[in-house]
Amino acid sequence: MSNSTGKFGGKLQSDDAVPTIVYSASASNGIGAVIKDIVDGWRMGPVWRAFAWDEIQNRYRRSVLGLAWIAISFAFFVAAISIFFGGFANLEQTRFTFYVATGIAAFQFLIGAVSDGCVVFRTSAQWIKSAPMPYSIYVYKSVARGILPFLIQMSVALVYMLVMGWRPTISVFLVFPAFAIFLVNAVAIHWLFGLVAARWRDIEHLVGSITRVLFFLTPIMWVYGERAGLVRVISNVNPFTYYVDIFRAPILGDSFIPNAWWFVIAWTLVGVIMALLAASQMRRRLPFWM
Amino acid sequence: MARINAQNVSLAFPMYASAHAPGFTDTVVEEDRLIFAADGNVKGIKALDNISLDLRDGDRLAVIGANGSGKTTLLQVLSGIITPDAGEVAIYGRATNLININLGMQSQATGHRNITLRGLSFGQSHKAIEAKRNEIIEFSELGRFIEMPIETYSAGMRMRLSFAIATAFEPEILILDEWLSTGDASFRQKATDRMQSFVNIAGVLVLASHSQRLLEENCNKAIWLSDGKIRAEGPVTEIFNEYKKTK
Repeated sequence: MSNSTGKFGGKLQSDDAVPTIVYSASASNGIGAVIKDIVDGWRMGPVWRAFAWDEIQNRYRRSVLGLAWIAISFAFFVAAISIFFGGFANLEQTRFTFYVATGIAAFQFLIGAVSDGCVVFRTSAQWIKSAPMPYSIYVYKSVARGILPFLIQMSVALVYMLVMGWRPTISVFLVFPAFAIFLVNAVAIHWLFGLVAARWRDIEHLVGSITRVLFFLTPIMWVYGERAGLVRVISNVNPFTYYVDIFRAPILGDSFIPNAWWFVIAWTLVGVIMALLAASQMRRRLPFWM
Repeated sequence: MARINAQNVSLAFPMYASAHAPGFTDTVVEEDRLIFAADGNVKGIKALDNISLDLRDGDRLAVIGANGSGKTTLLQVLSGIITPDAGEVAIYGRATNLININLGMQSQATGHRNITLRGLSFGQSHKAIEAKRNEIIEFSELGRFIEMPIETYSAGMRMRLSFAIATAFEPEILILDEWLSTGDASFRQKATDRMQSFVNIAGVLVLASHSQRLLEENCNKAIWLSDGKIRAEGPVTEIFNEYKKTK
């Protein structure tokens, strides 16, 4: 197979042949290398889909009910919150349940992106240290894995709502752009928090303690429009307020919180830019932090 | 045509308070390899210092050196797992590495599933993996164990499976670390035969080991790494004997 001479005696594949790949500091630094990583990883869809499916199976492998646990714990949680906090909202009880169910599903998907994001590279350390694959593969794997619980939760919510008399309006189609934005954010969040938390281990604990509080600071078991004062101020600063709203409002046929989409687009841009900057600076060092 | 062309490759491991530098777990590091920050703290360790290599079709390189001399780091850099700080590595052809036996395996998944995952990670299609599956199982000698999670495997079994998968898809460049010696004598013979046939088809092999016999059986040239530098290069037996004198 060693074709050192071609048909005319000249060199066919020789020193000036193009290398399959070059590893160097300049080739793996900067925005260009990050974009290449993101694109190359996307092309390896079969790998991250297989990884994602494997991890889902592992998590529920030896349990009898398996994935049904996602539906069960979601139903418990929604029921508990609806019963205990329904009295504090002006919404009618059934409608409050819809509000809580869709809000929790959206919030948990987003917060899952943050907490999974913190460990995305650390939990893939074995592969990062042994296979020269684009790091984005681990990001896509983790995001894909988070979609399944979300779909199960939303299915439970929608079935319950349909039974209880909810009917979608035309605005319900707006959940699709909302979820597309969720996915973009999930990828950016994974990159940003994955790298930062791999480098500084405290970040994971910090994020863990903040996300718990965020559940109370985001309008999920209380209604944005019904609150004023400090609660309102905090929820205005909290990006999750807007993210949850752009998903929940179209389902419930509510109007959006003023400028919700604009806030979401602005936060998304901030997230994507920060993720790109972090990745362009930190990506090359990642194997050292494992 | 397979080729590895490394030019002036240097790499320093950064030191972090809470992180250890991979490849330096059980190592006595020479004083002059430490890199100090302005405040006198250790900032990093020079792992590779100006390494150049040019390996072409049929080259089977033995990497010799004491623990901590930079062998594994060099293999990681040639495999593209760690990027060098300076210099560059150009790879011509499809490269596969087996640097650590436990790496790149999903321990809760079955041997079967790991064949799929590893195959996909090499960029193979599901179809190509299925075509090779029986051959891999047969070569690994795992029998019914292939249906068990690999966390139940012994070190030798994992090694056999890893080796079988890595060599099944006909890589043009194969980079192997020490652990091949965990196999028993008959498997080593089988592995040697397979590596011979693969190198005969025109490939490049890089093998790091402390076993003179393994290196002599599989390699046709050697480098001796010491403190991250190439201290000598030449025929395997000659270089290994030189290396042994320093022990």
